[in-house]
Amino acid sequence: MISKKKVIAVGAIALAAVLTVSGCTSRTDSSSGGSTAAAGAGDAKITVAFVPKLQGIPYFEAMNAGGKKAAEELGITWLYQGPTTADAAAQADIVRSYIQQNVSALIVAPNDPDSMAPLLKEAADKGIKVLTADTDAPDSVREVFVNQASVEGIGEALTDQLMTAMGGKGKYAIVSCGETAANLNAWIAVQKAYTASKYPDATLVNVVYAGEDQAAATSMATDLMNANPDLTGLVGECTSSAPGVAQAVKDAGKTGTVFTDGLGTPQSMAPYLKDGSSSASILWDVQNLGYLAAWAGDQLATGKTLAATNDVNADLKGIAYDSSSKVLLLGDPLVITKDNVDTFSY
Amino acid sequence: MTLDERTKPAPQSGRPAGSSTATAKRILPLPVTGQEFVLIGVLIVLWILLGIFTPAFLTPNSIQPLLVSVAPIALIGVGMTFIIITAGIDVSVGGAIMLCAVIVAKTMVSVDIPLIGAVALAIVVGLVLGVVNGVLIAYGRVAAIIITFGTANIFQFLALRVFGSSTVNGIPSTLEVFGRGEAGRTLGVPNSFAIMIVIAAVAWWYLRHASGGRHLFAIGGNANAARLVGIKVQPRLLVAYALTGALVGLGACFILASGTATLDQSVGSGKELQVIAAVVIGGTSILGGRGSVIGTVLGAILVQTVTSGVTQLGWPSQLANLFVGIFIIIAVGTDLLRERARRKA
Repeated sequence: MISKKKVIAVGAIALAAVLTVSGCTSRTDSSSGGSTAAAGAGDAKITVAFVPKLQGIPYFEAMNAGGKKAAEELGITWLYQGPTTADAAAQADIVRSYIQQNVSALIVAPNDPDSMAPLLKEAADKGIKVLTADTDAPDSVREVFVNQASVEGIGEALTDQLMTAMGGKGKYAIVSCGETAANLNAWIAVQKAYTASKYPDATLVNVVYAGEDQAAATSMATDLMNANPDLTGLVGECTSSAPGVAQAVKDAGKTGTVFTDGLGTPQSMAPYLKDGSSSASILWDVQNLGYLAAWAGDQLATGKTLAATNDVNADLKGIAYDSSSKVLLLGDPLVITKDNVDTFSY
Repeated sequence: MTLDERTKPAPQSGRPAGSSTATAKRILPLPVTGQEFVLIGVLIVLWILLGIFTPAFLTPNSIQPLLVSVAPIALIGVGMTFIIITAGIDVSVGGAIMLCAVIVAKTMVSVDIPLIGAVALAIVVGLVLGVVNGVLIAYGRVAAIIITFGTANIFQFLALRVFGSSTVNGIPSTLEVFGRGEAGRTLGVPNSFAIMIVIAAVAWWYLRHASGGRHLFAIGGNANAARLVGIKVQPRLLVAYALTGALVGLGACFILASGTATLDQSVGSGKELQVIAAVVIGGTSILGGRGSVIGTVLGAILVQTVTSGVTQLGWPSQLANLFVGIFIIIAVGTDLLRERARRKA
């Protein structure tokens, strides 16, 4: 028995060690990026840092690509560093390290808006311009939220595209991801209300949550089709469930009977858009979002204010800024179909 | 408590069979244990209830995808059962799945590799990872949970390097014989499930009848005593981890086949807990020395039945977590009660 207890104690210590080490890893990683920041700050160049929810996924890598492009064109230094898992504590470490490096502007896509708020205040107190992008921290001191698309825009586009495929009537279900993801839940609320008002012959029968797990999304979509034999539509609410619901329809041999759409990245949706198991994917131009975030960071850092409409570059004209909510809006969502899917590289 | 009463008579009813023939070499436990009967009972009741209260649970369109989802968890669970019987554990299988899956997916995208090549590659990669765990645990003599915690992180790191900041897109349908679609079934039975059953049957026979299998139980019961009676503890442990690694490789193929044409970094995440849950619900003692692969397969089916059932009933998704959590606590609780009863006896 004693040996068992020892094993458990040692195991607990090891667990703590692993957690500490993994916490440290992200810190070391960010400090390696810090040397460039210090150099950048030395010659009084504007430094804009972006902390995504997690590093290494195509979505944020595309934002990073847009930010880099903006930095080249604007002549500023662009820093990019995120945690390897969507972990609020690891993300906070990276934000802290950027605060210590005294960057000119700090852009965060917070995993947990509430726990990020005090850190953002700390940054603002040090004179750093603070922005959020992709996901907002509404109760924080952030000066601008760079919004990819309005909640209404996305919810309505998802519904319109699906209803076009379903002929404006029938039963559909949503496979969402994290149960607590504020943006997904806001879109779902719009989908519900908009379906009820604009498509009275259609009903949303169920919303299920698969986490960020493609296999779980696929198997839940299959279960939904079995539970509702008269189901003719499925929505994949995030980038892992959008291809998942299309794959489920394909596997069940119901392409053309059950229609799907969702929020998926172009490359992952391409095979399904082409074989018809997915009718459309709703997204926004992620690279442009990164570009716009970097541009907004530079504007604030150089003491400029945002106008009601802003011409950023040839691609980004008439970008609306709402000064009461402090939201800079990229524009209408992008509808990706089999016709334009091959024009995107991510 | 009812489980206690049920398991007590089991050895008694087994004893007359052994003692009636004076030449009997060893006394075997019953082929199917008390906990497994309970699981079969629970499954039958659940399936009947779901058949009544959902429109289509008991139809091929619903059962076939369910079995496809069960296959990788139960398959890796077979290896995990071997390990937990030796009083070890492997929490690195999630990271190992991720590494096997991304290597195979990237290979399939860049080279025109046949099915057999993809499966062989996955098994070899998995085997290597399993051997790394096995060598460190058996010969380094460090607690399995610590070693596999470490390797889990290393496997994830390596897998993320292979991913290289992007998803793997446009995966060909080479592995569709293991998938959820029409090509994944023979006579209506999903191929992946059938393969898992064959492997589980061989493993069941090995654990019950082969001396190597019995040695695993002895090691889990008391490793020092096992060593003193001449059991080669270290090679046996190595084999258990290596076997799990190889099964992880094959399981990663099943997971790839039941996924989409895109592989992202979430693959394998949390799978170690699903596998351990199936093993524990199946009645294998987390303290080592007792367990069976039949229970593990039943445990995996039970977990997936609950998940699918909750969705098909239209209940909130999080209830599946609640039910699985309750099953684990009941299973471990009865195991500990049995252990106490045995000590008193």
